[in-house]
Amino acid sequence: MEIIEKIKTNKSIDNQTEIQKICLDKLQSSPLPNPRSEQWRLSNKSKLSNFLDYSINENNSKFDISYPKNYQSNIRLIIGDNCQIKLIEKNYSIQQLSEDELQKYIKEQITFFNQNENWSDLLNLSLSGKNNILGLKINGSEIPPIEIFSHASSNYLNAKTLIIFLEKNCNVELLQINLGEDNSSLSQSTFFCLEENSSLNHGVVSYGVNKSNLLNSLNVIQQKNSEYNLGSLHFKFNYARFEIRIKQSEGNAKTNIKGMQITKKNEQISTYTKIDFDGPNGFLDQINKSLADDKSHAIFEGSIIVPKIAQKTDASQLSRNLLLSNLAQIDTKPQLEIIADDVKCKHGATISQLNEEELFYMRTRGITLTEASKLQLSSYFQEIISFIPVSKDRWDLLDKLLNQN
Amino acid sequence: MVNENLVKDVVKEPYKYGFVTDIETEKIEKGLNEDIIKLISQKKEEPRFLLDFRLKAFKKWQKMKEPDWAALGYKKIDYQDIIYYSAPKQKEKISSLDEVDPKLLETFDKLGIPLTEQKKLTNVAVDAVFDSVSIATTFREELAEHGVIFCSISEAVKNHADLIEKYLGTVVPASDNYFAALNSAVFSDGSFVYIPKGVTCPMDLSSYFRINSGDSGQFERTLIIAEESSSVSYLEGCTAPMFDTNTLHAAVVELIALDDASIKYSTVQNWYAGDEEGIGGIFNFVTKRGKCLGKRSKISWSQVETGSAITWKYPSCLLLGEESVGEFYSVALTNNLQQADTGTKMIHIGPKTKSTIVSKGISAGNSKNSYRGLVKMGTKAAGSRNYSQCDSMLIGDQASANTFPYIKSQQPNSEIEHEASTCRISEDQLFYLQSRGIEFEEAVSMMVSGFCRDVFNQLPMEFAAEADKLLALKLEGSVG
Repeated sequence: MEIIEKIKTNKSIDNQTEIQKICLDKLQSSPLPNPRSEQWRLSNKSKLSNFLDYSINENNSKFDISYPKNYQSNIRLIIGDNCQIKLIEKNYSIQQLSEDELQKYIKEQITFFNQNENWSDLLNLSLSGKNNILGLKINGSEIPPIEIFSHASSNYLNAKTLIIFLEKNCNVELLQINLGEDNSSLSQSTFFCLEENSSLNHGVVSYGVNKSNLLNSLNVIQQKNSEYNLGSLHFKFNYARFEIRIKQSEGNAKTNIKGMQITKKNEQISTYTKIDFDGPNGFLDQINKSLADDKSHAIFEGSIIVPKIAQKTDASQLSRNLLLSNLAQIDTKPQLEIIADDVKCKHGATISQLNEEELFYMRTRGITLTEASKLQLSSYFQEIISFIPVSKDRWDLLDKLLNQN
Repeated sequence: MVNENLVKDVVKEPYKYGFVTDIETEKIEKGLNEDIIKLISQKKEEPRFLLDFRLKAFKKWQKMKEPDWAALGYKKIDYQDIIYYSAPKQKEKISSLDEVDPKLLETFDKLGIPLTEQKKLTNVAVDAVFDSVSIATTFREELAEHGVIFCSISEAVKNHADLIEKYLGTVVPASDNYFAALNSAVFSDGSFVYIPKGVTCPMDLSSYFRINSGDSGQFERTLIIAEESSSVSYLEGCTAPMFDTNTLHAAVVELIALDDASIKYSTVQNWYAGDEEGIGGIFNFVTKRGKCLGKRSKISWSQVETGSAITWKYPSCLLLGEESVGEFYSVALTNNLQQADTGTKMIHIGPKTKSTIVSKGISAGNSKNSYRGLVKMGTKAAGSRNYSQCDSMLIGDQASANTFPYIKSQQPNSEIEHEASTCRISEDQLFYLQSRGIEFEEAVSMMVSGFCRDVFNQLPMEFAAEADKLLALKLEGSVG
């Protein structure tokens, strides 16, 4: 209940947008997710309440986290920066969604929300004010790569929302970066709508500093013949949840997901994915990797839902996990729910540690144990990192993962 | 291998165990309360410790809630509308099979269970349980020569109270889950097996469960103890008559394997599944668990689940002893409106423990078949390994197949591998078989049997043949 009180005291009813009112109303009946529900069962309760402890901040402090300089060809946007975007070029156009369009879309989405499953979105939408919602409509081809930033400032709980419509036949590369400062909480909700024949190469890179928290929710609707590729990386968060919900609304669409989460110290990072095939001929290839060290806890839960209508679906899901310490733990639960009979669905899961034989081989060749482990880890990481679009080299992701604690 | 004509014959058969034996039974009134439990205990002339065990379990059960996490939908069970004790009326004491009511023997004969000891060729000792009580246990003397105790649990309570007191409820505690608590409070009979140190049981042991009455539940309890370096293979079969009401079956099976002991537990479950509209059928809520207490001990579950309207069953292994081994081989077939939520739990506690899971689910008609399994590596399970494979086959576009594997590891020096796949009967293969003159339904049943081969190979011979027949029978009319 506290969180609702906090939102209300932060912003009087008169100042609330209609969306905020609706979401607050929905949250009122059960302010916190049901800890016994499948989606929240393993989530660390004290870490979640710590997430909500920070005071709400709608005004954005200066964005001063160091990040690589921009290439001129890239479009770089910072959510909350109040930027007005209207780029109309020969081949393409990127325009801000009007308030009406935004409201209409969000309202429609809310009607499908389930209290536990979409709790992160409900919280996000009841927190994020007008300035912190970025809505874009993208059209055309040869669009320069786009980078979009969200960040949370120290000692505050920030909420950012991103909504993007990809119109027909449009191809986009987009890197989304979520940064947490010291002692901060970031609630990020993203909604993508991919129209027919459009394709999106999406990268999500999220990392914090010290005691940063993140609730990251991603909702994608794919119309037919669209292609959605996601490469994601989450690390250095005291507590982070990455929820992915993808719906192939008419089938005949392609989805590729490669995600990774790395936990150290006392951290808990979890990934929940739900892929709905609402039409025939859908395709999914998903791999999720976790690495847990020290006393940390990594969680993966993925579900694939194939109703009767989704004949000829081809879906595979793989969860690969490395457990590197005696005190760390990994939970993984890949699941299939299938009614259609003419489908190819499979999933797999492994939990192990670094391959000793490979380590031994490298040591006999004069490579130190530390170096050999790094080599093995870098090949483990590289599969995911290479899938992240837009200037991944400049972000030195591999270096960040291997050389920082 | 089942020959083709045989398959053809059985495909035409309806549920042949659906008859009711007209026999006088002694039933107590419907309902569940402390007095009923005391009455059951009194009827069975039980010692005090057992009554206390029952009452304690009942108190716990009253505070518990029926679990709702399984992917099952069924109408609420009215626990006060069930008869908790029903026994065929017979003479005071049975000293030999000749004194058993001939009608009862006839029933078991009809079911194909040789109770009469003349049929020694089969070399299987049988404990037959009819509604709430055990009717007869065969081959006793021969088993006794080897020191093997095989009797009904009520007899064991009288003659081997020390063993019962020591082991009952140690693997599945009364408060373990809702149905185990209910069973602990009202269990009426079941089998008890004790294999002494160093003995390899000279024959397969078998129990046969038969529900005869429509309004009484069956709550049997099986306890198997394998002492050091002993081994035993145990078979379990179940049938019930056709009633249009649902009957509750809530059993508990506890296995204990000490150092170097091995227990193989095979089940062919063919309770009445209800008719095509889903009317009637058994609600089967079973808690089966084995404890590999000793070093290098081994517990192997193999099951063929074809019956019951609702199946809720997770035979599990607690792998405590160093280098102990747990195995689970399962075929679950659902047709019409059957629902099954079944799987296993492999809890690796001791170091260097190993487990294998092979689960095959076949769903046809409008049925729902879910695999739900847990593999857990505890902090001390260094050097442990698990391999799981669950495959589902869908027949028809109305059936559903779900897989919910829970995997948890807290031990870096261990390996877990899990894989699952879903497929349908391949049209190419069907076409090939048909082009070779094999009829459609026969081709399907050959392919299903091939799909389940990994599991059938683990079953004792006579069970494997029965399982093959059963699958063909159950799939009748569901393809094409």
